[in-house]
Amino acid sequence: MASLMQLKRKIRTAGSISKATKAMQMIAASKLRHAQESALNARPYADHLTDVISRSMPKLENGFYHPYLKANDSNKRLLLVISPDKGLAGGLIANLIREMLKQTKTHSIVFVNIGKKIEKPIIRTKSELLASFLLGNSIPTFDIVEPVISIIDEQYLAGNVGAVDILYTKFSTVFTQTPVIKQILPFNQSLEKDRITDTIELVEPSIESLIPGLLRHFVQIVIYQSILESFASEQAARMAAMQSATDNANEMVTDFTLLYNKIRQEKITNEILDISSGAFQTQ
Amino acid sequence: MKLHLSIITPSQVIYQGEVDEVIIPTEEGIIGVLPEHTPLLSKLVPGELEIKTKGQSQHLAVTGGFIEVSNNQLTILADYAIHAQDINITKAEEAKKRAEKLMSEKVGDIDYAEIEKEFVRAIAELKVARHYKPK
Repeated sequence: MASLMQLKRKIRTAGSISKATKAMQMIAASKLRHAQESALNARPYADHLTDVISRSMPKLENGFYHPYLKANDSNKRLLLVISPDKGLAGGLIANLIREMLKQTKTHSIVFVNIGKKIEKPIIRTKSELLASFLLGNSIPTFDIVEPVISIIDEQYLAGNVGAVDILYTKFSTVFTQTPVIKQILPFNQSLEKDRITDTIELVEPSIESLIPGLLRHFVQIVIYQSILESFASEQAARMAAMQSATDNANEMVTDFTLLYNKIRQEKITNEILDISSGAFQTQ
Repeated sequence: MKLHLSIITPSQVIYQGEVDEVIIPTEEGIIGVLPEHTPLLSKLVPGELEIKTKGQSQHLAVTGGFIEVSNNQLTILADYAIHAQDINITKAEEAKKRAEKLMSEKVGDIDYAEIEKEFVRAIAELKVARHYKPK
């Protein structure tokens, strides 16, 4: 049986762990509120932009060419993976890695990553890692997108890769976040039938001059939206993980305290027995 | 018959509702969009946007973006939009000065694009605020 000293030490350890995890939980919760807001607020913009481009596609003449619209011959794919910089976020990173490994099995992939935690797993797959960016500890700003796009452009326009996908963690609710793969390039968002009711008749100045700008903007927005979603997911996952860690630590404190009191009482009873039997014998 | 308007920026939905008319600065000039407008796609340029409902006008400062009309629904995808009454004139003036100063110095390509964006935004804000901000 554990000695009283040992138990006392265990109680103290569990107590300070619960304090630390509680603090982390509260930090994640306060970050989550802002992150969730910006992720959800950005969604309508991305959705509408996709709609606008899809609706204007039929207007394009057959001869119109833009590299973003047409796949090139390379069968390599570029995968942009977005992960947290730090761990302690429950199953979020493990899920992300599982999804990433699934992709490496079926395709030949070159990687670009945002977020430190996914960097090592990518290197371990022996795939080519072109660039690695940090996600940061506060809500990522739009500036983070530009260098990523310039790398994507460089690879895609030169024909080194035939398609560009993005792997991020979609923020569904505070309790569920799922890794999602989305194709960015070539642009192939197909509209559901009932939404094509109204094709655009008038385009000013001309569709050919608008489409390049729209497509580039689309890539920017999809990447930024995914980054925001991933960031919100990270905070939500960390909050949940730290909450259960705090609960577990508190439970341990209760259990150990109970055991500690029991042993203490037993010890006292034994001592009293000793004394009284000693007194009895001397009589 | 009313026109359904939504003004959306990457950070939030600025306006959503039924309106009578919207005056928009586009690349081809300033256009007015009334209910039942032909489906249209055009480019938004920095300037002032006016929303008319029930004889009243609201003014907003916008920077670049895209506009789309379809099914009596006008969608304005703006990089940035702000209501006249929310504009902070002192801040905008400061931003303009800062951008002007940085633009006169030599900086790299990416930086320059960012600064120019800020400059354009400050000018649009100031223009709208001077005219329409309630004193």
